[in-house]
Amino acid sequence: MRVAAQFLLLALASGASPAYADWQLNMPRGVTEISHAVFDLHMIIFWICVAIAVVVFGVMFWSIFHHRKSRGARAENFHENTLVEVIWTLVPFVILIGMAVPATATLVKMYDNSDAEVDIQVTGYQWKWRYQYLGEDIDFFSSLTTPREQINNEAPKDENYLLEVDNPMVIPAGKKVRFLVTAADVIHSWWVPAFAVKKDAIPGFINEAWTNVPEPGIYRGQCAELCGKDHGFMPIVVEVKSQAEYDQWLVDTRAAQAATAAAASQVLSMDELMAKGEQVYNTACAACHQVNGQGLGSVFPALKGSKIALGDIDAHIDIVVNGKAGTAMQAFKDQLSAVDLAAVITWERNAWGNNVGDKVDPATIQKLKEGAE
Amino acid sequence: MPSSGPSFFQLVCSVLAAFFGVQSEHNRQRDFSRGSAWPYLVMGLLASGVFVIFVILLVRWALSLAGA
Ligand code: HEC
Ligand SMILES: [Cu+2]
Repeated sequence: MRVAAQFLLLALASGASPAYADWQLNMPRGVTEISHAVFDLHMIIFWICVAIAVVVFGVMFWSIFHHRKSRGARAENFHENTLVEVIWTLVPFVILIGMAVPATATLVKMYDNSDAEVDIQVTGYQWKWRYQYLGEDIDFFSSLTTPREQINNEAPKDENYLLEVDNPMVIPAGKKVRFLVTAADVIHSWWVPAFAVKKDAIPGFINEAWTNVPEPGIYRGQCAELCGKDHGFMPIVVEVKSQAEYDQWLVDTRAAQAATAAAASQVLSMDELMAKGEQVYNTACAACHQVNGQGLGSVFPALKGSKIALGDIDAHIDIVVNGKAGTAMQAFKDQLSAVDLAAVITWERNAWGNNVGDKVDPATIQKLKEGAE
Repeated sequence: MPSSGPSFFQLVCSVLAAFFGVQSEHNRQRDFSRGSAWPYLVMGLLASGVFVIFVILLVRWALSLAGA
């Protein structure tokens, strides 16, 4: 009886009544016209399946019960009945066409990428996202900010555990926004359930998707294609703002990016570099090389005591700025500012008992960056 | 046992029945006493081609409805 009651509740809850939001099993209804269409499709098809199950299993159980041996039922052994076979072929055919018609209408809408007012290139990296606003001169990376202590169960977990980033994507409300989705290393997938957008991010390909979110708000998603060790640690946060706030954000972000570039000419003290370097290291490098600099097995080398970190400074700068082709050690020249790069390299040369004692100036890195462009 | 080949209409019906997935035992017996399988194979290939063209046209039509 309790099981039956739970099934009933489940069926009710799947009608998306908000009372059950706390233990929701059904897919979310989302916030866009498309996500509503997808949800409605899902529900229609779900109920069609329920009806089919009731009819098929109803007839089956009734037949088993009604024609039981104790009532003297004997098996019929006729061989074919063309009429019945035609009917049980036609009925599923008609049901499938009935589902295909609304599904096709929704799919055609989802694939209509025309007339977007904002174009954003989304690039998956191991393990962060990069957002480039085409024609707006805005380009930044978006990385997880959930503290390591929470991940390691050393601190209580926040409400948005593993769903918090340093720089969220920002888009205007009520405008069609197109995403050009690709990847720099392996296959990722950019997924925001509330928009019903899930697009594979494949190196060398550009997949298109779009959304139009009517209401401002914060929406969260995740990478949906297994992409390595920190696949679960590259969330997506999209902040939808009103047009006026969005315009202000564009201005502020451009100014901040210009300020970061200008900061490359400043000279920092060893202490400043070390403080900044530790911070940068923990967000950009620790996933692989670990907070203690000891690396991870034979996959991610230790930097504590490493030949490169203790040796020639130019080789050290080179591997961090340009990466090493064919390995997980990616080029950081686009991901980090000159100041951040100078700081993190300085940190690696002087942390964990690596006491080389030298420091890198942001200007040196800036020259390399400009040379590369 | 008549060894003359199937009529064109019978051929079409049998191939369509095969596409649909249901054939009566009576027609099956008839088709399998006709000696050669070649007419059925050729008609099957032709019908497959027609089916592919039909699907292409169907997709075009659906997209044109959507204004694409
Ligand atoms: C996605 C994983 C990953 C991340 C993140 C990463 N690295 Fe690496 N790193 C590697 C791998 C793998 C190698 C070894 C490459 C090879 O095969 O030589 C490496 C090598 C290095 C080396 C050379 C070590 C040696 O002794 O060979 C340095 C220095 C280094 N990384 C610095 C950094 C810095 C600085 C950052 C952050 C800005 C960083 N790495 C982020 C994976 C990573
Ligand atoms: Cu990923």
